[in-house]
Amino acid sequence: MRQTMRRLGSATVPRAPGAARSRGRWQRRTGNAVRMTLALVLVGGIYTAVAPGMRAWADPTASPADIAAGKAIYDQSCISCHGRNGQGVPDKGPSLIGVGSAAVEFQVATGRMPATGQGAQIERRTPLYSRQEAQQIGAYIQSLGGGPELPNVPDDQLYAGGDVARGGTLFRVNCSSCHAFGIGGGALSSGKFAPSLEHSSPRDIWAAMLTGPQNMPVFGNNQLSPQEKSDIVAYIHYLQTDPDPGGWGIGRLGPVAEGLAIFLIGITALVFAALWIVGKQT
Amino acid sequence: MSPRKRRFELAKVPASVGVGLDERLQGATLLRRALNKVFPNHWSFLLGEIALYSFIVLLLTGTFLALFFDPSMTDVEYNGSYAPLRGTAMSQAFNSSLHLSFDVRGGLVMRQMHHWAALLFMAAILVHMFRIFFTGAFRKPRELNWVIGVLLFWLGFFEGFCGYGLPDDALSGTGLRIATGIILSIPVIGTWTYLSLFGGEFPGTEIIPRLYIVHVLLVPALLLALITVHLALMVKQKHTQFAGPGRTEHNVVGVRMVPAFALKTGGFFLLIFGVIGLLGGLIQINPIWLFGPYKGEVVSAASQPDWYVMFLDGSTRLMPDWDLHLGPYTVPGMFWPTVVLPGVLTMLAIFYPQIDRRIYRDREAHHLLQRPRDTAARTALGMMAIAFFMVLTISGGNDVVAQKLNISLNAMTWGGRVALLIAPPIAFYVTYRICLGLQQHDREVLSHGVETGIIKRLPDGRFIEVHQPLSGNHLEYTGAPVPKKMNKIGALGPAVRGFFRPIEKSAPPPPAATPVSPADAPRSLEEAKPPKR
Amino acid sequence: MSTEHLGGRSAVDVGGGHGSGGEGFDVDDPRNTRFDLVREGIRRDGMEIVHYAPAFPLGKKSRVEKRVERTVALLFVLAGLLAIGFVVAYIWWPFRYQYGPVASKLYTPILGATLGGSMVVMGLGVIVWAKKLLPSEEVVQDRHDGPSPYDEQKLTGATIMNVVDETGVKRRPLIKAALLLPAAGLGAAAVAPLVGGLLKNPSDGHPLLTTGWNPANNDGKAVALTRDDGTPIRPEDVNPRGQMTVFPGIPGGSTTKWADSPVLLIHLAPEDAAALRASIAESEQRLAAGQSVAKPVVNGMWQDFVAYSKICTHAGCPASLFEQQTNRLLCPCHQSQFLIIDQAKPIFGPANRKLPMLPLDVQNGFFVARSDFLEPIGPTYWERPVEIDQQEATS
Repeated sequence: MRQTMRRLGSATVPRAPGAARSRGRWQRRTGNAVRMTLALVLVGGIYTAVAPGMRAWADPTASPADIAAGKAIYDQSCISCHGRNGQGVPDKGPSLIGVGSAAVEFQVATGRMPATGQGAQIERRTPLYSRQEAQQIGAYIQSLGGGPELPNVPDDQLYAGGDVARGGTLFRVNCSSCHAFGIGGGALSSGKFAPSLEHSSPRDIWAAMLTGPQNMPVFGNNQLSPQEKSDIVAYIHYLQTDPDPGGWGIGRLGPVAEGLAIFLIGITALVFAALWIVGKQT
Repeated sequence: MSPRKRRFELAKVPASVGVGLDERLQGATLLRRALNKVFPNHWSFLLGEIALYSFIVLLLTGTFLALFFDPSMTDVEYNGSYAPLRGTAMSQAFNSSLHLSFDVRGGLVMRQMHHWAALLFMAAILVHMFRIFFTGAFRKPRELNWVIGVLLFWLGFFEGFCGYGLPDDALSGTGLRIATGIILSIPVIGTWTYLSLFGGEFPGTEIIPRLYIVHVLLVPALLLALITVHLALMVKQKHTQFAGPGRTEHNVVGVRMVPAFALKTGGFFLLIFGVIGLLGGLIQINPIWLFGPYKGEVVSAASQPDWYVMFLDGSTRLMPDWDLHLGPYTVPGMFWPTVVLPGVLTMLAIFYPQIDRRIYRDREAHHLLQRPRDTAARTALGMMAIAFFMVLTISGGNDVVAQKLNISLNAMTWGGRVALLIAPPIAFYVTYRICLGLQQHDREVLSHGVETGIIKRLPDGRFIEVHQPLSGNHLEYTGAPVPKKMNKIGALGPAVRGFFRPIEKSAPPPPAATPVSPADAPRSLEEAKPPKR
Repeated sequence: MSTEHLGGRSAVDVGGGHGSGGEGFDVDDPRNTRFDLVREGIRRDGMEIVHYAPAFPLGKKSRVEKRVERTVALLFVLAGLLAIGFVVAYIWWPFRYQYGPVASKLYTPILGATLGGSMVVMGLGVIVWAKKLLPSEEVVQDRHDGPSPYDEQKLTGATIMNVVDETGVKRRPLIKAALLLPAAGLGAAAVAPLVGGLLKNPSDGHPLLTTGWNPANNDGKAVALTRDDGTPIRPEDVNPRGQMTVFPGIPGGSTTKWADSPVLLIHLAPEDAAALRASIAESEQRLAAGQSVAKPVVNGMWQDFVAYSKICTHAGCPASLFEQQTNRLLCPCHQSQFLIIDQAKPIFGPANRKLPMLPLDVQNGFFVARSDFLEPIGPTYWERPVEIDQQEATS
């Protein structure tokens, strides 16, 4: 047993003779950086050339008027925490330079921003600003330092070309661990939680994947291509709109709800039946 | 023999068939005894029937499912009706589970009925066991049947767990994966057992076919055999009964098997079957199509076992990270809450009749049940067990509770750990005091009578409440129910019937509208009876 | 008590009977009603009817009785209609699953409602019948239990012991001794096929110590990190604060054949990566200083990337709920929490060991595993090599 472990421990990737060991760490880093840049250019080029269907989507364009309108709202509602020109205020709000319009639109349109207080997690609320206003603030932040942007298409086009089955597979690998099979959300550590997706709009789901709000990891376009994002949104949209085929879904909560149901409905009903059956004959 | 040609008389057929059968089988006496068997009447005696009849539903629906389910781990691509899985690679086991849910007429309702019946079976077993426990029905001569009942619980538990694993969806795979963790935690033989049962590394291709044969043949056969013995012993030893007028340790008071008991129990069977059918059609259970096929990397928030396994999941969640290192070997912390704890609980349950005998220093055979209040220590122990079980079960779903009630998950875990230590003793103490209080009140009523609600001022200015004595003579405390209200002893007319609202007009006030005083109160219960209607 | 019960309305005379019962009872006495015969049977079965009253007096039916009859009949008819409804829906209602709010979504609920409803209504009818129309009765039966008579016990005991004597086992110790061998042998033979057929030796190929990342599965070459469709992964595919589930790039690497191999590839934010590097360095120092500390995976990271086994070290679920701000990995099965910037050390819950780190490298622009995990993944077990984690518990 010990020998096996030692074998395991010493097993390393075979290297090209004479390579690596003589090269310094700095050289390796530079080499990697060059390779990474090349790869980026290559992938970007290939992606622009072949990304299916996505080319048709117009790039988001924001008019100066939108940016001005966004700045007006920003200076009124956001500036106290995020500072002048989105530079952030220590201990109050992070810098917004480079977060991109997608993040802003997600946070504002789901009512998470402007935030009301400091909890374990900022929760979804009735939004204070309309979708259009959220986009205007987003345009303003985008103009400050760029960042991820949402495709400028109507909601239903975000999933129109999506493959539901592929989306389901991707959902189960990437999303269900936190948001649960039934898209009802789930608990995270110390009071945090992954919110339910039952009422999330395709645009918000897309933005969340792209920007990784709060504790959610980022799923950039290199990891989940726009097509794959479409697939996932299509799957979530499917679950949102498809009634349960087996009757009332009890929140798709799984065995906890089922266990409650068998006692509250099954056992309770049958115990009352038993009481009635042996009750006084009249 | 009459020379005349015999006319066929339909009315005489049953009699002649009966006589013919008896000439061959000599069953007349036995049959009449069976028909004349007496069953005592109490609602709590029907709890076990819920389990029995759900088992029958399980056999029926399970047979249907077995016609379509294929326990094979062959890789296939789904191309059935459920669009979001079309083209997905999966095992044939999961494929056939989806097929029977979506492409077999009535398959889904059967699958859901099977699952609900399983939950009901286990729930009824548990409730039935607590009835037996709290009333002392496990005492001599019924210890053996109690042990069989405990075994039936664990067999049902195991059977349910196997069934949960069969469809090879992501949730069942997760359950099996945790099972491998549990098996691996067993000292010395853990790895051997794990690899042998799974035929290699998890999941392999062997486990589903093996679980299948265990689920459809081995355990059901054992369950059926033990249920048969359980019932045979119950018939042989006759049913217990609560204390009451005319009921002694040497008789059974109730109704005969036919027609009253048979009709009622038959009707109850239909109700149980019907409730399972309603649940199976109207409330969705275990939507495997949402879970998808099992993959090693797939998991969901709120992954739970079925409710009867949840207490072990809870104990695993609450267990601190205590691995025990013995030289080069390790006893994983997982071993204690998943192997040792159920082992200890089973042993405690199996040997409880002996423990109880020590507590109450009672070696006699008993057929009269005890009221929970009269055995305060036992009742308190039982409530302690329930508190322990409840804390563990809630902890088994603590992530769902945390999410739905907006509580920190870590706080739920710590709360569970603390509650596991303090809730059982609190439950014991509170139950014990309540039992003593109820006993005390019964004794008070027996010696002083029922409170009438009439306040009387004595000549010296004191106020007293007038009590209606139950009898002129001294009444012994026997453990039988004691009337606590005037209408129970007929002094106020019967209570108005109706569960939620009255379904009849309240009776006219009793003729003696004047306050009863101790002096002119009836001397005995018999006198207090109202004239028969 | 019998007087109390028999004081009821129109109770049948339950005492006496023609022929006065007992051995003298003449079953063919023409004066006997059928009920007399029933009562005699009951008497012979050790029972006594203490109360017996028909629900309604014989003769003309009262309005109440008629109403009860109608209720029961109505319930039965309703049950029958529901059952027919079940069959009709079963045959004609569209049952194949379709997307959206369509008629087939009602198939299962309709089946359940009609079948369950039919049974419930039928059950109600039967019980109303039993409760309202059957005679109310109270019967007392003697138990006749307790042990068998002393004589019987004695006789049976002697019979059993005599069997032992007759076989003469006591007198023939040679046979008894010789019997032990086939008894043991056949017993073992009964168990052997079951155990032998199933038995697998954990040392046979060491399945618990190796995963799909072992280069031996890839002709000795480093195994690439791939997506579930087998495509390799470049560093730029995972954004900072992002994570990706990856599989060994070997045939069937993403199938359940390699259920022990899924790995979570995490791209840390620069400051978090620095924290992780510091944590590894600290472990190295402490190890060098001879302190007992879990052995770190040196050079396990690649730039700001780190990869951990997705299989929880507690019970084996995928510990994959990644919180990118708090840098925790949460396992949804038993809520163990691992701090990824501290080498995935468990910080809450029942897990005791850190998640094994997969040593990363990039070759030709794609991620590969430089070796298999340096320790067994998944749950702890009895003979799991301990020297690897150097007694975390004592540190």
